[in-house]
Amino acid sequence: MKISYNWLKEFIDLPLSPADTAEKLTLIGLEEEESFEYGSKLDGVVVGEVLETNQHPNADRLKVCKVNLGDETVQIVCGANNVAAGQKVPVATVGSTLPIKLDDGSFLKLRKAKLRGEESHGMICAEDELGLGTNHDGIMVLDAALTPGTPISEVFDLYTDHIIDIAITPNRPDATCHVGVARDLAAALNLELKKPEVKLSEVVTESEDIKVSIENSEKCHRFVGKMIKGVEIKESPKWLKDKLLAIGSRPVNNVVDVTNYVMFELGQPLHAYDYDEIRGKEISVKDFDHEVEFETLDHVKRNCAPGTLFICDGEGPVGIAGVMGGLYSEVSDKTTNIFLEGAYFDPGTVRKTAKAETLQTDASYRFERGIDPNLQAIAVERAAKLIQEVAGGTLADEIIDIHPVKTEKRTLTLRKSYVNRLLGTDLTERQIVDILEGLELETIEISPDSITYAIPTFRPDLEREVDLIEEVGRLFDYNNIEAPSHGIYVSTETFSPWELLMEKIRTIGVELGYKEIYTNSLISEKEASHFGAVDTMVNTLNPLTADMTTLRPSLLHGFLKATAYNFNRQATGIRFFETGNVFKQSEDYSYHEGIKEQTHVLFGVAGLRKTEHWTSKPVSYSVFDLKSDIAAFFGKVGLDKALSYSEKDGKLEVFIKNTHLGTIEEVSKELRKTYDIDQKVFVAEFSVNDIHEALKKQKAFSYTSIPKFPPFEFDFAVILDKNISAGTVMDAIKNKAGNQLQKLDIFDVFEGESIGNDKKSLAFRLNFIDPNKTLNIKEVEPIINRIVKALEKQFGAQLRG
Amino acid sequence: MIDQIKDLTNEIKSYAVATKEELEAFRLEFLSRNGRVQSMFKNLGSVPKEERGAVGKAMNEAKQLAQHRFEELKNALESSEQSVKAAVDDITLPAPEPIIGSLHPLTQTLSEMKNIFYRLGFTIADGPEVEDDFHNFTALNFPPNHPARDEQDTFFVRKSDDPEVMDLVLRTHTSPVQIRLMENTTPPIRSIMPGRVYRNEAVSPKSYFLFHQVEALYVDENVSVADLKETLITFVKLMYGSDVKYRLRPGFFPFTEPSLEMDIWWGSEKDGKWLEILGSGMVDPNVFKAAGVDPEKYTGFAWGMGVERIAILKYGIDDIRTFYENDIRFLEQFN
Repeated sequence: MKISYNWLKEFIDLPLSPADTAEKLTLIGLEEEESFEYGSKLDGVVVGEVLETNQHPNADRLKVCKVNLGDETVQIVCGANNVAAGQKVPVATVGSTLPIKLDDGSFLKLRKAKLRGEESHGMICAEDELGLGTNHDGIMVLDAALTPGTPISEVFDLYTDHIIDIAITPNRPDATCHVGVARDLAAALNLELKKPEVKLSEVVTESEDIKVSIENSEKCHRFVGKMIKGVEIKESPKWLKDKLLAIGSRPVNNVVDVTNYVMFELGQPLHAYDYDEIRGKEISVKDFDHEVEFETLDHVKRNCAPGTLFICDGEGPVGIAGVMGGLYSEVSDKTTNIFLEGAYFDPGTVRKTAKAETLQTDASYRFERGIDPNLQAIAVERAAKLIQEVAGGTLADEIIDIHPVKTEKRTLTLRKSYVNRLLGTDLTERQIVDILEGLELETIEISPDSITYAIPTFRPDLEREVDLIEEVGRLFDYNNIEAPSHGIYVSTETFSPWELLMEKIRTIGVELGYKEIYTNSLISEKEASHFGAVDTMVNTLNPLTADMTTLRPSLLHGFLKATAYNFNRQATGIRFFETGNVFKQSEDYSYHEGIKEQTHVLFGVAGLRKTEHWTSKPVSYSVFDLKSDIAAFFGKVGLDKALSYSEKDGKLEVFIKNTHLGTIEEVSKELRKTYDIDQKVFVAEFSVNDIHEALKKQKAFSYTSIPKFPPFEFDFAVILDKNISAGTVMDAIKNKAGNQLQKLDIFDVFEGESIGNDKKSLAFRLNFIDPNKTLNIKEVEPIINRIVKALEKQFGAQLRG
Repeated sequence: MIDQIKDLTNEIKSYAVATKEELEAFRLEFLSRNGRVQSMFKNLGSVPKEERGAVGKAMNEAKQLAQHRFEELKNALESSEQSVKAAVDDITLPAPEPIIGSLHPLTQTLSEMKNIFYRLGFTIADGPEVEDDFHNFTALNFPPNHPARDEQDTFFVRKSDDPEVMDLVLRTHTSPVQIRLMENTTPPIRSIMPGRVYRNEAVSPKSYFLFHQVEALYVDENVSVADLKETLITFVKLMYGSDVKYRLRPGFFPFTEPSLEMDIWWGSEKDGKWLEILGSGMVDPNVFKAAGVDPEKYTGFAWGMGVERIAILKYGIDDIRTFYENDIRFLEQFN
């Protein structure tokens, strides 16, 4: 909200400069967002007398003028048609600054210039160039009686101000006006607050001129009205226009301007009706149980929901309560009699309507935060008096005040001990009273440890003791609270195994040479549909755009998107990992019924592992590169011993005991195509939650002593059907080998006509070890025989000679 | 005799070879069975007895010198041969690109913050990204239909007219983890809560519909604004250096009362400006009540900050979307 420095000074003797005021406001919680100067004193702009004008030798439209500036005569090139010898004109002299904003935000500063070869020492100005109006038809011609050299600020009544735009937090409705902001400053700086004086007239509930009623008192607590007869609607006086313009409010006419003025001054939105247009001479505040079509002042026809609160005259709605008036009964040039309204509407009701109509006005902004429920009569009287000043007319002797719901002052007790405990201060009772003085709290009782206050109704945010403590802290200034010179000694908290695991997983990712990525967890329905049925996933109900409809069911989409993004930008190889949460609908839920949220880790590689280089030909990633990294990953996590793999549909499923941890796979061509990825892509994705569970069941790691005896190595190869997977054969070997088998690997895979077209040869290397003795062939041979026999029987394998 | 040996020694010392053949010639001339050194020993008998000791010693020295010189020449020859290198022996050839794993800049920024808190004795806690209305709003003192709810554009995941079924949202802040912690632990509580949060907002260089926050909570019997202040000051000093310029000012958050914001001075003394870096405050009694903590017995502070915002400041990143594009040329700058 824009706050005028000049306006503040009407209420307090502000000892601070505008910049210091802005900083002080920030420090008491009314944060400065921006500050700027309004208007200009036009220093260096003086009255000049045009002595002669000559045609510019090189430009048809320019004239070269000799201008008397009082103490000197200068040459100025001028482009205006109306410039003529003998005129008195405003001249911006060299070195002066005009209120014309340039592209870089600075203002136009005049320099000595050469225009088409002719020197020009200054500029003869038009009205708009001086900020004195909007006219740009030609230069301004001044009163011929003026003396050349007179500063222009002596000729015109120039208005300048400093504007501070402050951010108002939702808990401070009292600060949405100048008096409120001045009150806060007065309290913080120990100044006296001088509020505008208002004389209250006799209160009535009925009047001969108009009948006022409130039909829904829950939504409208109070309605105050006053008649002003015989006004003259015209342009506002300069002082009023200047003040409104300075804070960015456009002047309309004298009556409307006063209602706005009082709102910015006291915080009460007001409305002026053309009395003669009020049908039936009655006003009622009511809502309807059906939708109502209504055209607001901004010429928008709105279908207002049932329950919307309206101000109605004898024939129907004339305004949406607290939000915006209608076209009917608006104050116009022809208006002579005025009915002035000041009401209190329920914040929730106004907020709901303003939100539904997406219409925030200066009035709704204030009503929905909660204005002072005891301000209406004061504001109406204040405005009526001002209207009389600027528009003439006669004020009614009485004021109509319908006030079905009265708000009493709340009382709050503030304990000194609690203040000091919460703030960490050592304030005395006297100090607390002094700090809060100026907020217009009424002291009811002071006892040795506590102070009881009556809270003014303009502070609806002060509901609890702790809210008052915030006032103490805020006005004392948090920067003045002394922090302990050192922290208290702390007993350190332990980390949970989960956090340690997450940290470990990220470290392993880096150690294995993968780059960590962060991808979107909220994706589009279309993207999600590649990974299953969208209705089994978790979807948002109100996404702003179709890009954010579905919570990711796996980390794969993000990886593929990042992969495509990089391949499209000339990357040759991808090596990424990510940890993050994935979501699905499931009976087996994690936190909230029906929703399973789990943390996953994904490793993915694609494209080239090695680019073309003098040391090597280009090498593409294979699934075995990934498989080996995953083995390393589980080794480092500490789960490799119990791990098992099984192949299904070409994918490798990874298990620990019976728990499926995840999958290692090559991304299908079809899926790659949807992301426009030509290169092969391999990914492995696991549930960290399941890894975490498995680790809990794992025995703590302990060291195994290095074998004292050397291993016995034995190689053999078998020929078997191609469709038998190596994994199954290896499982069979392990099964038969007994516990002396330490290591099993395949060192050759061969296929060729020599062994038959549907056959392959697998060559195994087995390492046996015995902790108590050196093994020899005699002891190993029977094991090998047992294995070979089993392979013959199980797979029809044939030992290769 | 001694003179002869001296001549021989000098000859050996100054002998030079350029090829293998010449080296062999050296060996034959001096070291072979019939070489000049060996021949010298044959004459030892003719040396007078009293000189024989000295001459013998000189002869042995000469023999050792010849042997030594031979090795020297041989090594020199070999290394000069080696200096004729193959093209691939050029050490200035470029090595293959190293494979470097790295943490995302957001993880790095977060780690830096975590490590500061760990030094202060804080632990770390976690909660779900899909959260119920109670934990995300009501328990945090956002009453239904309160304007403060508007400030956080919320994604709804489940909405129900049945009062028994709670609305589910994508959490708009990490504060619900505070509630979960307080529900499940007895103070003292000292923990940070990092995580991903969501806002239903349009995407621009300045805003994204998801981002990350870190929140800290400390609850004990006598925690005050002064303690909060001390912690905040320690944090900014460790994060931005001990000469960091900061200020505290009042703020507003539904879940803290009083609420404070902290600014740090960013840039030079002259051209810098105050930048808001975190929000904080004393845990609101209503929040304590909702989480089952006695507000008369306990007080506490909470504060939170955006990870992206801190990373953007730290690295001078101009578009928040860069974090989620994962361009390798971006990531590899944070190796």
